[in-house]
Parts: sequence; C-alpha cells; structure tokens
Amino acid sequence: MSVDGTVAAPAATPARPIKNELLAQRVRSARIFLVPMIVALLIVAGWPLLRSIYFSFTDASLTNLYDHEWVGFANYLNWRTLESGRTIFRGTLVDPGWWNAVWNTVRFAVISVSLEAVFGMIVALVLNAEFRGRGIVRAAILIPWAIPTIVSARMWGWMLNDQFGILNDLFLRLGLISEKIAWTANAETAMTAVLIVDIWKTTPFMALLILAGLQMIPKDIYEAADIDGVHPVKQFFRITLPLVRPALMVAIIFRILDAMRIFDLIYVLTPNSSATETMSIVSRENLIEFDNFAYGSAQSTLLFLIIAAMTILYIWLGRVRLDGGDR
Amino acid sequence: MARAVSTRRKVAVSIIAWAIGLIIFFPILWTFLTSFKTEGTAIAVPPKFLFFDWTLENYFTVQERSDYFRHFSNSIISAVGSTIVGLIIAVPAAWAMAFSPTKRTKDVLMWMLSTKMLPAVGVLVPIYLLFRDFRLLDTHIGLIIVLTMINLPIIVWMLFTYFKEIPNDILEAARMDGAGLREEILYVLTPMAVPGIASTLLLNIILAWNEAFWTLNLTTTAAAPLTAFIASYSSPEGLFWAKLSAASTLAIAPILIMGWFSQKQLVRGLTFGAVK
Repeated sequence: MSVDGTVAAPAATPARPIKNELLAQRVRSARIFLVPMIVALLIVAGWPLLRSIYFSFTDASLTNLYDHEWVGFANYLNWRTLESGRTIFRGTLVDPGWWNAVWNTVRFAVISVSLEAVFGMIVALVLNAEFRGRGIVRAAILIPWAIPTIVSARMWGWMLNDQFGILNDLFLRLGLISEKIAWTANAETAMTAVLIVDIWKTTPFMALLILAGLQMIPKDIYEAADIDGVHPVKQFFRITLPLVRPALMVAIIFRILDAMRIFDLIYVLTPNSSATETMSIVSRENLIEFDNFAYGSAQSTLLFLIIAAMTILYIWLGRVRLDGGDR
Repeated sequence: MARAVSTRRKVAVSIIAWAIGLIIFFPILWTFLTSFKTEGTAIAVPPKFLFFDWTLENYFTVQERSDYFRHFSNSIISAVGSTIVGLIIAVPAAWAMAFSPTKRTKDVLMWMLSTKMLPAVGVLVPIYLLFRDFRLLDTHIGLIIVLTMINLPIIVWMLFTYFKEIPNDILEAARMDGAGLREEILYVLTPMAVPGIASTLLLNIILAWNEAFWTLNLTTTAAAPLTAFIASYSSPEGLFWAKLSAASTLAIAPILIMGWFSQKQLVRGLTFGAVK
C-alpha cells in the first residue's frame, strides 16, 4: 500500500515512465485532497488553541479582549513577598478550586469509563446470544446514546428529584433506601447521580462497539474450544477478550477524551455543586461568568495538556495503533 | 437432554436481555408517559404509571409556545447540510490518507484526535469572535460550518479505516484500465465503500442533531435547532415536567425513528473500522 510498494510492482520497462508520471500525479492529488481537511483542522483545532494559549499569558478580560498586556506565567503561578517576609502564591496552580476540579474530573473519568467498559462487555455478551426479539432490545439499548445529553440530563434530573422523583419512590418500595434522597443536591450523592446518568447514557455505546467486535469472531473457534472442553470463563479470557481488544481500546480512548472534558451533563444535572465541579465547568466559570478570561484560558490550556498527556500515556501503555487495528 | 438445557438457557438469556433492555429504556418510557399527563398528575406521589387521564394538551402548548416545527426544520437543515459538506471534504481526504500514505499520516490522525482534547468552552470565545466578524452568528450557513468542523475529524477517521480495508489492487486495476482519478474515486472506491459511508453518514447526522454546546452559543432564534428548543424549557423546579417531557419526546422522536431503521448500519459504523 505504500508509495514505494507501488513503484516496485513488476512493470514492463517501457511502461515505467508513464507509470511514474501517473504515480506523481496521484501523489499530487492526494496532497490537494488533504488541503480542505487541514484548513478545517487549522480553523477548528489550531487557531483557537493557539489563541487560547496566547490569552492565558495575558490579562485579557471578556469585556476588553483586545486591550491586554502580556503577563507571562502570572495566571499559572505568581508570587509576591510581603513586607513581613511572608510570600503569597497566586495562580491556577495553587488554586484549591482548580485542584478539586482536577480530582473530580479524574475520579469521574476513571470510575465511569471502567464501569462502562465492564457493563458494556456484559450487555454485549448478552446481546450477542440468540433470543427472541433481539432486534427490538438492541434498538432500545441504542437509544440512550442517541439522544442529546441536554435532554437526558433533564429527564434524569426529574427522575432523581427528591420529592416527586420516580427513583426515590422505586428504591423506597424495594427497600434499598430508608428515606427520600436529594440525589443531585447532596454533596455526597451528587457524584453518584452524575455517574449513574453517564453510565446509563454511555454503556450502550460501549456495548454496541464491543458487540460489533463479538460478531466478527468466527463461531468455529468456540466450537473447537467446546470440543477441547475449555471452560466458558477461560474461553472468555483466552478467546473473546483478546479478539475484541482492538475495538475496546479505540472505544475506551474516545470515551476517556469525552469523560475528561465532561461538561453539559454536570452543567444541567448538578449546577453549582463543588462535589461535581470538573475542569471544563471551572474554566467556563472563569472564562464567561467571573470575568477572569485570561485565568480561564490558563485553565483550559492546562486541561488540554493534562488530556494530551493522558492520551499519549494510554496509547503508549496500551500499544494502541491509531492507523488501523492492532493485530 | 442437551436440547432441554439449551432451551432453558435460551429462556434465561431472553429474560436477562429483556430486563437489561427494559432498565435502559425505562427513563425514556417514563418521559414518554409523563408527556401525556397533566402537570398535576406528573408530580403525583406515589407516581402514576398507566392509569391516569391521558391528554395531548402538552404537545399543543409546546408547539404554540416555542414553534417545534421551525426548530425541527433548522435541525434537519443543519444536520443534513453539515453531513453533506463533511462527506465532500472527508472522502477525498480519507482516500489520500488510505491510498497514498506518508510518514505524516499518523501525525494527522493524532492531530485529529487532539481536537477532542480541548474543552469546547476553551475555544468558544475565539470561534465566537470569528463568527461575529464574518456575520455567521445565528445563520444556517454558520451552523453548518461549525457542525462540519466539529465532526470532520471523526468522519475522516471512520472513512479512513473503511477505505483501508479495500484492497489497493482493485483501484490499481481500474487505473490500468484507464480510469482517471475522478472515476477511480466516484465509480470504483465509493460504491465499494457504501456500507462504510452510510454508517458514517448516519453517525454524523446523529452527532450533528445532538450537538448542544455550539448550537446554543452560536444561534439565538433564526437558526436555532431542537437542542435550543429543549434548552428553553429550563424551568428548574416542578410544575413544568409534563411540558418538558412533551418537548423532550418531540426533540428525540426523529432521531429515534431514524435510529430504529438503521440500527444495523449504526452498529457497524460505531466500530470506527477497528473491527474487521
């Protein structure tokens, strides 16, 4: 498939110059074809990012974006020594609110993505078996993923309502809780509420990704394993898991990226709760609401760096190959 | 004997599967039911399931109050428009990456992934200013542009993985028979990649349909799609739930109907080609 490979293909000597010319033309076209996409990427991913990074080194405010001064790393970290000899540190890097948000985000991402992967695997295994009405159940399971977060967050906010919510009523009847809980308002349960909704929304996505992987595994492998008397649990770990791994790894990386940036669900479900404040939420507050535009820019730059570092680490540790499966 | 066991197993699997399906589907069912209640019945304690006076009143109120059909057509225009524009840009780009790869191809993929690393709020202001200066705020064209840009990386990525599965020899054979580049892509590559392109198209429509952050921030009235319609029902507490449910049902109905008919394509499409 490589350019060299094409050239080396057996060809009659006289035809060679024509072929080379064709090849050169193809390569030229390929470059031209990439231009619109690269331009789009520059507009959506290059320029705003650079601008965001630039603003993080200034004292710009939303009301006065163009009239700003360069302040270096002051938004990240700066200090001043008082006359009394005490040094005061300021900036995002010593802001407890920011670190609380980092902790919340990481905690949320790790818990939600791992539970979604496990539940997704279970659901996929069940859906892969044959049963009556498989098409209907599959379609029903796909739905949560296909509806806008803003809608599902509202729906759940209402179901989790402390007085009229159906969930409190159900859990009370089942004896799971002893009194009605204000799921989204309580600091202790807010994160649980967010996790429940996110897992509900995203497990189907994971399950379908894994399901598609499961369907590609040839059935005779299992038949052979059955004949050899391999225990089903061992079959799962030795056959199923390794074979769906490529699909799973790609699914997980997309999920981690989304989970680390989670915004709309928390914004709608548990606004103003410091127990669920994530990096995106905090940086939005500073960018838009608190008139700390430059400070917020510094936070989104940090968020970008943290996610980039995590992604690289994941790709490296998991030996994920981005350009096609890893078999 | 073996048959009895397998039948019993089948029944067990059916029950588990239906239970999982029901649990996952329940919130949607509940919203649907609530949309037919009066505001009073909606907050009844204990909650009422099926035995209440069904009413269509909420739907009429919602249409009257916020013009569902205008938002609906805005959603259609932006989702379909951005998908078409996206495919026009993405198909040639994916072709170039799959069949004429260079050392940079991997870097481009990584760069595309990096668009998912920056929080949307972080780039909101630069993009907002750009839109304001080009007078694109609250226009269909503006919305189509932003939705295309946002989903482009994922479309290119998906198409790239599909195209990679198509043997280069076939394209080469076409070329030998004198097919030009245009014919090669339009008449040889595209027909072979139809399933992949269809999945990409579906996924992109769903993503565009559900995109809330950008549509809320870059539109006000004229081009506002259904997500903005939903957001307008933001009364935080009580008394409004039945109408919110009706609005939610209306907002998700089109995507549910589409998803229902294309469930198989979607499952394939969602693998990003990672599974062969």
